[in-house]
Amino acid sequence: MSEDLATWLGDMTPSDGPAWLDAWRASARERARALGVPGSKQEAWRYTNPRRLFEQPYGDGAARLATEALAPLLIPGLEADRVVLVNGRYAPEHSRLGALPEGVRIGSLARLLAEDPAAVRPHLGALADDATALFPALNAAGGADGLVLLLAPGARLERPLELLHVTTGETPTLAQPRHLIVLGEDAEARLIERYVGLDTATAHCTNGVLEISLGAGARLEHERLQREAPESFHLSTLYLCQQARSHYQGVNIGLGGRWARTDIKARFAAPAAECVLHGLYLSGDGQLIDYHLDVDHGVPDCNSVELFKGILYGQGRAVFDGRVFVAQDAQRTDAAMTNRNLMLSERAEVDSKPQLEINADDVKCSHGTTVGQIDPQMLFYLRARGIPEATARRMLCLGFAEEIIARLGDEALRAQVATLVGDRLEAAPLD
Amino acid sequence: MLSVSGLRANVGDKEILRGLDLRIGPGEVHAIMGPNGSGKSTLAHVLSGRDGYAVTGGTATFAGQDLLALAPEERAQLGLFLAFQYPVELPGVNNTYFLKSALNSIRKARGEDELDAVSFMRLIRDKLKILHLDDSLLKRAVNAGFSGGEKKRNEIFQMALLEPKLAILDETDSGLDIDALRVVSEGVNALRSPERSMIVVTHYQRLLDYIEPDFVHVLYKGRIIRSGGKELALELEQHGYGWITDEDAAA
Repeated sequence: MSEDLATWLGDMTPSDGPAWLDAWRASARERARALGVPGSKQEAWRYTNPRRLFEQPYGDGAARLATEALAPLLIPGLEADRVVLVNGRYAPEHSRLGALPEGVRIGSLARLLAEDPAAVRPHLGALADDATALFPALNAAGGADGLVLLLAPGARLERPLELLHVTTGETPTLAQPRHLIVLGEDAEARLIERYVGLDTATAHCTNGVLEISLGAGARLEHERLQREAPESFHLSTLYLCQQARSHYQGVNIGLGGRWARTDIKARFAAPAAECVLHGLYLSGDGQLIDYHLDVDHGVPDCNSVELFKGILYGQGRAVFDGRVFVAQDAQRTDAAMTNRNLMLSERAEVDSKPQLEINADDVKCSHGTTVGQIDPQMLFYLRARGIPEATARRMLCLGFAEEIIARLGDEALRAQVATLVGDRLEAAPLD
Repeated sequence: MLSVSGLRANVGDKEILRGLDLRIGPGEVHAIMGPNGSGKSTLAHVLSGRDGYAVTGGTATFAGQDLLALAPEERAQLGLFLAFQYPVELPGVNNTYFLKSALNSIRKARGEDELDAVSFMRLIRDKLKILHLDDSLLKRAVNAGFSGGEKKRNEIFQMALLEPKLAILDETDSGLDIDALRVVSEGVNALRSPERSMIVVTHYQRLLDYIEPDFVHVLYKGRIIRSGGKELALELEQHGYGWITDEDAAA
């Protein structure tokens, strides 16, 4: 078993960095070894067998991205500062940061750990509870780089920050980026996180962790656009902790990968905060798109919305496993969890499991799932206007997706996502 | 233009159309009236190609083609237009995008070039005026959250844009107040032309005060049992359907 994990656990020799970092990584290695590679008999792995991830060899990930290779990956018209990671490592030659406002620090985790570890120490691993979760523990052990975004109280990003992950190389690459996003009191930012895979036939693997901490009154708009290459594995765990009156809005777009699993663990640490999680996923032949949401209302007067919509075609599969927990003291909680699925094929499959666990008596909570097909009346209406059936179906799918696409923060991103979804549906088999 | 002969159609096991004959020449406006359940809407749906109806006999020829063999979109591309009794709401489908897709699909089928964005918007704004519609409509989703009157006006607006050879107005007057009825009727009348035929399906004479038909047909139990000029509609208004359906029963 342990040899399966060697690549994942990273370099075991002590670094010339601070001792606390070596100790933190060593303890993560121990946890990962103790947890071991999961088997499909465990409940959490019922729908997929992750063994392949550990059985295939990984290259060193040293492949670089040519200067001219970046332009086609950019979103036309998107005005943003940019941090690019290639195979999980900061690529300064592709990154572009304008003059940063006072109180804003943006940088590479590896660099900050080398140059100013004290700035990172309070935040690294502060939110990640990886005692029982293998992939976050592996990330802690083997992850070396990522984005650090620190905003002092009252600081505000003037432009959105785009965090672009590119995976490339002819042999499979293992990228384990770790991002720390810390917004002080009343700070505001917008983060556009994108994953792009270049090599369609290579089974790259990304295992990312984000730790996001929002101070009192802070606001973060966070868009996540995952379009890894078709054979890739994508694992991402987001830990979110919100202080009083803070606002988090996340839009998760999941399009790529053979198996793409996203875990979001959101926690309210003080009252009157709001967390809005939206999602849109497409799953076709050979794909599993896999969302696990865990929203913890531990304090009173917080709101959360979880709305995820999926379009499945061919033999696509998806999992929506959502849980809202309301503690006994969390009175006046307002939470609504919804998962809607549009099935374009009888062979597609979705496992939807929205759950509420409520221990307080004065709350407003709802949860629901729908699984349906294209409405024949809508389809006829379009066809009666001369629109061919295949086009009409695509229009209705995009209409279904629009509710989520509309949540994206600007027109450039909305257009990009609508195009990607439209293109995918155009190539999708009709059955 | 349209020639229907001996048309029979079922919904499930029930025969709704029982040998219907109808001939419509270019530029003619035909009203089809009849009591509830006589088959008026079924006729509109069968002609436009909606699922759920089994044609068991007869023929329908439109613009020289076997209409019943065509898919709904092919019928529309050939110049058939159905103004829905209950226009369908399409949440998330932008109206402008929808109109452009419809128009360009039809233009493409006719061998015409697709309209560029500028010409398209100019055309759209011209047509909006005819129906007294606000251009904020273009940014909204198709019919989503529209009032009953807005939905019906939107149907006639689409008709104005798509310029069909034959328009079937299925109970376009239902659910309209008198002002909306006037606007819709004016829109329809503006579209009358020597090349454009219309079938106006209605339960009431009221609509025909605004849209004057050339011919009136009474549909009863799936067949046309009486045809005449517009004066027939007035007789129906005064005497109800009873005197005709009784005659039919006696015969």
